[in-house]
Amino acid sequence: MKVSIDLTVNGERHQVDITPWITLLELLRETLHLTGTKEGCGLGECGSCIVLVDGTPVNSCLMLAVDAQGRQITTIEGLASNGDLHPLQQSFIEKGAVQCGFCTPAMILSAKALLDENPDAGEEEIKQALSGIICRCGNYKKIIEAVRTASDRKADS
Amino acid sequence: MKTNYVGKSVPRVDALEKVTGQAIYCVDVELPGMLYGATLRSPLAHARIIEIDTSEATRVPGVKAVVTGKDFPYTFGHMIKDQPFLAMDKVRYANEPVAAVAADTEAAAQEAVEKIQVTYEELPAVFDPRKAAATGAPIIHENLEKYEHSSMYKIVPGTNVCTHMTYSRGDVDKGLSEADEIFQNEFYIHPVAHTPMETHAAVVKYDPSCRVFTVWSSTDAPYQRAKDLAKALGLSFNQVHFFSTYSGGGFGGKGAIVAEGIGVALASFTKGRPVKVVYSRQEELTASQVRLEAFLKLKTGVKKDGTLTARVAEITWDNGAYSSKGPEVARRGALTIFGPYRTPHVEFVSRLSYTNKQPSGAYRGFGTNQVTWACEAQMDIIANKLRVDPVEIRLKNFYQDGDRYINGQIMQAAGLRETLERASRGIGWGEQNSKSAGALVRGKGIATTIKGTATPTDSYCFIKVNFDGSITVLTSSVEIGAGQKTVLAQIAADTIGVPLDSILIPNPDTYATPFDFGVTSSRTTYHMGNAIRMAGQSVRKEILEIAADVLGANPQRLVFREGKIMDRDSEHEMSLKELMTKKYGGKGGSILGDGHYTPARSSIIKAEHGIQWMGSIFWMWATHAAEVEVDTETGVVKVVKIAAAHDVGRAINPMACEQQIEGSVMMGISNTLFEEFKMDKGRIMNDTFADYKVASMLDLPVIVPIIVESHHSEGPFGAKGIGEPALSPTAPAIANAIFDALGIRFNELPITREKVLSALRERDSV
Repeated sequence: MKVSIDLTVNGERHQVDITPWITLLELLRETLHLTGTKEGCGLGECGSCIVLVDGTPVNSCLMLAVDAQGRQITTIEGLASNGDLHPLQQSFIEKGAVQCGFCTPAMILSAKALLDENPDAGEEEIKQALSGIICRCGNYKKIIEAVRTASDRKADS
Repeated sequence: MKTNYVGKSVPRVDALEKVTGQAIYCVDVELPGMLYGATLRSPLAHARIIEIDTSEATRVPGVKAVVTGKDFPYTFGHMIKDQPFLAMDKVRYANEPVAAVAADTEAAAQEAVEKIQVTYEELPAVFDPRKAAATGAPIIHENLEKYEHSSMYKIVPGTNVCTHMTYSRGDVDKGLSEADEIFQNEFYIHPVAHTPMETHAAVVKYDPSCRVFTVWSSTDAPYQRAKDLAKALGLSFNQVHFFSTYSGGGFGGKGAIVAEGIGVALASFTKGRPVKVVYSRQEELTASQVRLEAFLKLKTGVKKDGTLTARVAEITWDNGAYSSKGPEVARRGALTIFGPYRTPHVEFVSRLSYTNKQPSGAYRGFGTNQVTWACEAQMDIIANKLRVDPVEIRLKNFYQDGDRYINGQIMQAAGLRETLERASRGIGWGEQNSKSAGALVRGKGIATTIKGTATPTDSYCFIKVNFDGSITVLTSSVEIGAGQKTVLAQIAADTIGVPLDSILIPNPDTYATPFDFGVTSSRTTYHMGNAIRMAGQSVRKEILEIAADVLGANPQRLVFREGKIMDRDSEHEMSLKELMTKKYGGKGGSILGDGHYTPARSSIIKAEHGIQWMGSIFWMWATHAAEVEVDTETGVVKVVKIAAAHDVGRAINPMACEQQIEGSVMMGISNTLFEEFKMDKGRIMNDTFADYKVASMLDLPVIVPIIVESHHSEGPFGAKGIGEPALSPTAPAIANAIFDALGIRFNELPITREKVLSALRERDSV
C-alpha cells in the first residue's frame, strides 16, 4: 500500500508515493537520498536525526513521513544558499565545533532554529536548546562557542 | 624551522564536508542491488545450540539469504582466533549473533529473523572475571589451548584465563621492608560503552568469480581488519578490499571486526549482491564491545615523606566472551600500574579471563583508564594519610629525564612536571575551596597519567605531486573524527613547502593506500606524521632539482615556500604549477615520494633484552585537576571545573588538541558519574540512551585545556600524541575531589548519585 504526499524539502517541492509507516528520516535518507541527516538511535533519544519542520527542530526518526504532508522541511543540505555557507556552518568550521561530524547537522539545524527565534541567545539558552543532541566526541564547549559566534554576528549585522 | 601551518589552529580540512552534510559515512553507502542484513541474537548468556530451524524465515518474501554458523563455519580473532562469525556449537554471551538474514528491505530481513527458531540448552554462566578465573568455574572455551594465538598471550590451559602475565623488577620484599607505611587497597573499574554516534556498520560485496570481498567500513585500521578477515577465510590480502569511509566516532570501539563479520557471512550467499549491515543502538550497546572491567589490588610501600619504595599489583581483567584486543590491553595496560613514578621495587600479576559477557576491547586509553584509576586514587589515599600535599607527593616521585622505566628504558620525562604544575594552577590548587552553600559542598582533586604508544609499529605513505601542482597524500590513517587528516595535511604542507589547500588526503583504500598499523594507541600524528615528513622531503628534493634544471639555477640558492620557487640569484620566481607544466610539457606527469616510519631502530627505546616491547617511542604525560560540587541532599555530583594539562610534544594544531582534551573530559565525566550497565543473567537491561545515560551539553563544566610542549627529539616537528591520555586522569581527579569535599573515598566506579547518597547516609549515621 502506498500513499501520496506532498512536501517541500529545502525549498523544493516533492510529490512522493510512500508506504504509510515510514518515518520522515527514512523518507529523507532513502527516498530523497538526503543522507546528511543521520540516525543515531532510532528512538528519539540522541537527536542525531533532527531536521527543521516549519522551522522547528524535530527528531525525524519519530515523525511519520505522512505527517510531513504540506510541511516545509529543512535539512543540512538546504542550509547554504547559492554556495554561501550559513553563518552557523561558517562558525562551526572556524571554532572547531566539528570532530567526527555525525551530530553536526543536527547541532547546526537546532542552533539555527534557536537563533531564528532568539538572535541574542546566550550560553544557557544554547545549552537548553541543544542538550537533546548527544555528541560523543564531547565537543560541547566548542559547539557553544560556535553558536555564540554566529549569534554575535547576527546581532551585529 | 619556520612553519606556515604547523603550530597553528587552522580549521579542520574535513569540516566543510561535514557542515554541509556531504561527508559519506559507512551508514550512507548505497550500492546498486544492495540488500539489508539483520541478525538473530542469543537470548542466553551461555547455552548449547541444539537446533536452528530457518525454514520459515527463508519463505519471507524478499529474503535472499539466511545464514547460520553451520553454513559459514569460520572463526576470526586479532589476538586469539576464538570468535565465530555466527555462533556454531554454542553461544557465549547474551546477544551473540546466531543467524543472519539478507533481504530486499530492512523490514523483510527483520521479519525473517523473528521467524528463525532456535533450541538452546542453557549452560551455567559466569560474569565476574575473578570467579571465572578460579578453578571450578564453567569453562567458556573448551578448546582454548587449540586456538591459534600469538605466544605473547600466555593461556592457562583448562581455565578461562587467556592472558596471564607476571613481572617483577627489584626486590619488592626489600622495598616493602624499607617503607614506613604500607598501603593496601582494592579498586574496581566498570565496563563502559564507546557509543559512537555512528553505530558499527559495514557494506560488503562478494565477487564469487574472483573470491574477492569488498568492504566499506568506518573501522579504525583497515589493514588490520582486512588482514584478520583474509586469515579467517583463508584468502590473500588482495581478496579482502577495504574502503574506509568517514567515521562517526570510534574511541577504540571500531578497532575490531563487528558488523563487518555479519556482512561478510551474508555476502557470501547473496550471489554478488552487496549487503548492508547497520547495528541498531541496542546492538551497539549490547553486542559490539566495551571497555575491560577490572579489579585491581595495590600494595604500596612509602616512606614518611611520601617517597615510594615498592608496589605490588594484582589485576584481574574481564575479556568478555571473545578476544578482541583484550589480551593486549591486559598485557600493556598492566605495565603502567606503577604510574608516572620512580618505584625501585615493583611486581605485578595480570590475568585476563573470559566471562559470559559482551566482548571487551580497546577503549580510548588501552588499559590506562583502569590502572590510572587505581594508581591515582591510591596516591591520594597515601597523601592524605601521610599529610603530604597530593601535588607534592607526585612531584617527589615523578620520573625525571634519565630515570629508568620498568624495562630499563631511559625516560624522556620533560613535560610531566609542567602538566602537574599548570593543571594545579589552573584549578587554584591550595586556595581555599569555595564556601559551602547549604547542602552544596565543594572539593578539588588531582590525578596524573602516563601513557606510551605501542612500539614498534609501522606507518607508510605515498605522496603524489600532480601535474598541476596539487598534491595527494596516500595513507591508511583513517579520519576517525579526531582531526587526523588536518594534522597530517599540515605536516605535509610545511614539509613540502606548499599551501595547505593544495593537499588532498583521500579516505583509505587498501588497494591503493599503503600499510598503516591503524588509528590506535595515539600513534597517528607521530608515526604517520614521520612517514609524511620522509615522503614530503623526498618530493621536495625532487621538485627543487627539477626547478634548478628548468631555471638553470644553483639548487642551493632556491627558496621553495607556499608553492612558489624562487631563485635568490636571479630573483626569478615560478609556481609549482608552472614548474610541473614546464617539466612535463603540458602532457602531465607525477612526482612520487614514499615514506616508511618505524621506531624499531631508535636509540630511545633501548631497554633490557627481551622486554623492549614494554617501552615506548614516546611517553605522553597528563594531569587533570577537578573541582566538584556535591549536593549532600541528593547525592548529585556536579563537576564545576577541570583544568587538563597535556604534554603533546608539540601541538601541530592547538585547536585539534583542545578538541581532544575537552572531548575527553566530557567522556571522562560521563564514564565516571553516569554510565553503568545493568545486567540480569548476563543480559544488559539498559540498552538505550534513555537508560544508559551519557553526558549531554548540560553536564559541561568549565574546561581549561592546557597544552604543554616538551618537543620530542624524533617526533614530526616535535609532536607526540594526545587521543588516549586525555581520558584516563579524569575519573580519579573527580573521585579525589569528591573525597576532598566529603571525606568519603569511592574505590569503585561509577560514582553514581545513589552511591554517593548511601555513602553520605552511612557516614552521617555513625
